[in-house]
Amino acid sequence: MTKEYLILKRLLSSLLILFLVITLVFVLIRISPGDPTQKYISPKLSSQLAEEVRKSYGLDEPITIQYLNFIKNIFTGDFGISYEYRIPVLKVILEFLPVTLMLAFLSITMQLLLGYFTALFSVRRKNSLIDRLIRKSSVILYVTPGFVLGLILVFIFAVQFEIFPSSGFKSFYYDELTFIGRIKDIAAHLILPLLTLSIPGAALFYNYFRDGIEDVMNKDFVLYLKANGFSDKIIFRKHILPNSLKPILSVAGIELGFLLSGTLVTEVIFSLPGMGRLMMSSILSRDFPLVIACAFISALFIIISNFVFDLIKVKIDRRIWKEILS
Amino acid sequence: MRLKFHFILLLLLLISASCEKEQFKDTSRVVIAIQSEPETLNPIYAFGLNEGVITDHLFLYLLDLKWNENKGDVEAFPMLAEKWQWNSDSTSIDIYLRNDAKWSDGKTVSAYDVVYSFDIYSDQQVQSRFYGMFKNFYHFENGEVDLEKTFAVKDSFHLIINFLPDKVISLFDLAFPVIPKHIYENINRSEIQTAEINFNPIINGAYKLKKWERNQFIILEANRECFLYDDEMIKEIIFKVTPDYNSALTQLKKGEIDFTEDIRPSDAKQLSNQKNLKLASVKGRQYDYVGWNNIDGKYFSETKKVKPHKFFGDKKVRQALSYAINRKEILSQYLLNYGSLCNSPISEIFVNEFDSSLTGFEYNPDKAKVLLREAGWADKNRNGILEKGNTEFLFTLHIPSGNPLREYAATVIKNNLKQVGIEVKVEKLEFGVLMDGLLNRKLDAWILAWFIPLPNELKSYWYSDLTQTQLNFAGYQSAEADKIILELEKKHSKEDYIKLMKKFQQIISEDQPVTFLYWFDNIVSYNKRIKNITINPFGAIQRIWEWRLEN
Repeated sequence: MTKEYLILKRLLSSLLILFLVITLVFVLIRISPGDPTQKYISPKLSSQLAEEVRKSYGLDEPITIQYLNFIKNIFTGDFGISYEYRIPVLKVILEFLPVTLMLAFLSITMQLLLGYFTALFSVRRKNSLIDRLIRKSSVILYVTPGFVLGLILVFIFAVQFEIFPSSGFKSFYYDELTFIGRIKDIAAHLILPLLTLSIPGAALFYNYFRDGIEDVMNKDFVLYLKANGFSDKIIFRKHILPNSLKPILSVAGIELGFLLSGTLVTEVIFSLPGMGRLMMSSILSRDFPLVIACAFISALFIIISNFVFDLIKVKIDRRIWKEILS
Repeated sequence: MRLKFHFILLLLLLISASCEKEQFKDTSRVVIAIQSEPETLNPIYAFGLNEGVITDHLFLYLLDLKWNENKGDVEAFPMLAEKWQWNSDSTSIDIYLRNDAKWSDGKTVSAYDVVYSFDIYSDQQVQSRFYGMFKNFYHFENGEVDLEKTFAVKDSFHLIINFLPDKVISLFDLAFPVIPKHIYENINRSEIQTAEINFNPIINGAYKLKKWERNQFIILEANRECFLYDDEMIKEIIFKVTPDYNSALTQLKKGEIDFTEDIRPSDAKQLSNQKNLKLASVKGRQYDYVGWNNIDGKYFSETKKVKPHKFFGDKKVRQALSYAINRKEILSQYLLNYGSLCNSPISEIFVNEFDSSLTGFEYNPDKAKVLLREAGWADKNRNGILEKGNTEFLFTLHIPSGNPLREYAATVIKNNLKQVGIEVKVEKLEFGVLMDGLLNRKLDAWILAWFIPLPNELKSYWYSDLTQTQLNFAGYQSAEADKIILELEKKHSKEDYIKLMKKFQQIISEDQPVTFLYWFDNIVSYNKRIKNITINPFGAIQRIWEWRLEN
């Protein structure tokens, strides 16, 4: 089997997964109780209004017809109009995506860097007091729920020391700031959410990095390389690190996918306009087109991020490309 | 070393950012926390509370309605209409508009805009939030206002509005925001819902839209062209989306937010001790109740006929349940007395109509047991649960998830009813699922709140014909109450109207279609630097153009 064939196969299976995801979400949301026109039921409103709105959403048609129309529209790239925002759903998503993308990429980078450098620091001081302390703390940080960590950070840095703003993505006076001021403004707003998102993940990666590096360091080939006079730096960079990365990259792929799907708790605590909040509010208001589009985007991100990290794995170790791509 | 350098650099940058922030603090701004983002700034579709609040500051009404607490009623003051004159039998009104009201694009607000607004609001195709609310106007079968019969435009600033002669006309019949004809007439009516104008409106109100950052904040700035403008007005009002309650409280204490609503009673005391904050309450607009399905919901759904519910179809049982529930305990323990006991759906804010002689059903488990026995319920097999024939008295009480007050109330109610031999299972449902259950009459019992509309409205909630009244979730059936509800739709003297309202309260209190629990306050907290705030049953956030900032 050629590499191209395997890539094509992976691409087709990804498309199938996407199709199944949106079909499943479509069916689940339609069979679950609740109706997007519930908000039109009020003593002040005419009872006919809800009926009129249902008709205009096409919800009076049989579910099979609705599904066929939906699939037909999807193929033309039309996810429909959001019931809540009254604009095309893709336009709504585009308004929420930048925050999520920024948070996700910055957070995964922070998690990997923090995890890596702490692991390195720890491995060099193996079994020392500080190593034991970091290992124990990493478990505590990993199991700390996001909302607890977020509130603690807000209390310390926003309430007590007033260093960072406690919520939002930018200040009200953002437009009045200079270019540098704007960058600083966004950075100041993002630090606490980033820490909330990244600290548990960094603790996880710390353990993966530490165990991976330690495991590979104890392998016979490392001893053999040392005996052959290779420097510690080269052995580490060229042999130990690449060999310890495989499980980390798999986890990183999944983690990035989740981050890109939205980080609800952090977005709610810090009032950030991200995909997590969008998806949650669309589910609660039964905004069917928006729910499906959010699910589609999330699934797409998870597939892409896994694929990208798989490609990185292949880049590091070419022997595994068949295993990975199939 | 390099790492340390970068860290110090970052710290310096952030410190300088916080210094830059100081220079913007002086601006005349007020930040109001809102839980969710408005979907639109178009008054046609402002279905949500927040949308209503914001659009009320962007678009002016014909009349300025103010709540008079002493009278328990609204009073009209000039707004777009500078004067008006009712005819002798109140079937027609002459309205004289101001000639200095301007749209934000410079055009003058005219009588044609007023007529066009009613035309749009009543159009079936537009699906406006006011659709179906023009029954007192001359209208067609589909609810659209008959413009020819209703309106006579004398000139750009003078028009006459004619009402149907047999209807009870109130000031609320004129309480609609006026929208710009010259903008809307260029948009296909079926496309208004998705038009750009929903997000970037042409306004005539005290404030105009400055900036809308999706799901973050909306900034309104004082509209210098509006006749309501004066130099003392707060220059910028920021509605900040703050979905997390705890985060809103933190920001309020820190001074990042100046105003927030829906404070939990347990936090109110702590906030009242804050030097920079003040507390206030909107009273008498919302009450909690335990809904008992008076009819067999399944049977009704299948046949559209009414059959009494096996537990709650009997008035004596409902009365017993009300006696068995300790409402005072919930009011004092959870609500910390930020509210009052509720005995009927008429609030004491309606000073004249409210029947203060009703004492309601005071907690009395012994009386509850007697009533249940009279209704045929007894614990014959001594298992602690009452039976009637082969039916044991056990049911599920549904509550919406994520509401601590109702969770507390449900626990108290469960324990109270256990004492009289009734087994209750409490189940939390997501709000949409709960509503689905109620609309399809699938639920036996539930706890919910009603937010009472102004003007008062009874038919939607309590009229027996369930095909007409979706909101009569309890399926309440009473010929006597129906007669009064229909009578209230006719013209009456003020005295007769009050008599009818009091009679209605006595009937519904006796029937206990639901157990009326308590009126609960909307507790508001705001920064002391804001002065001249009006908080009354009309709401907490209103008439912001009258707010002032302390120097």
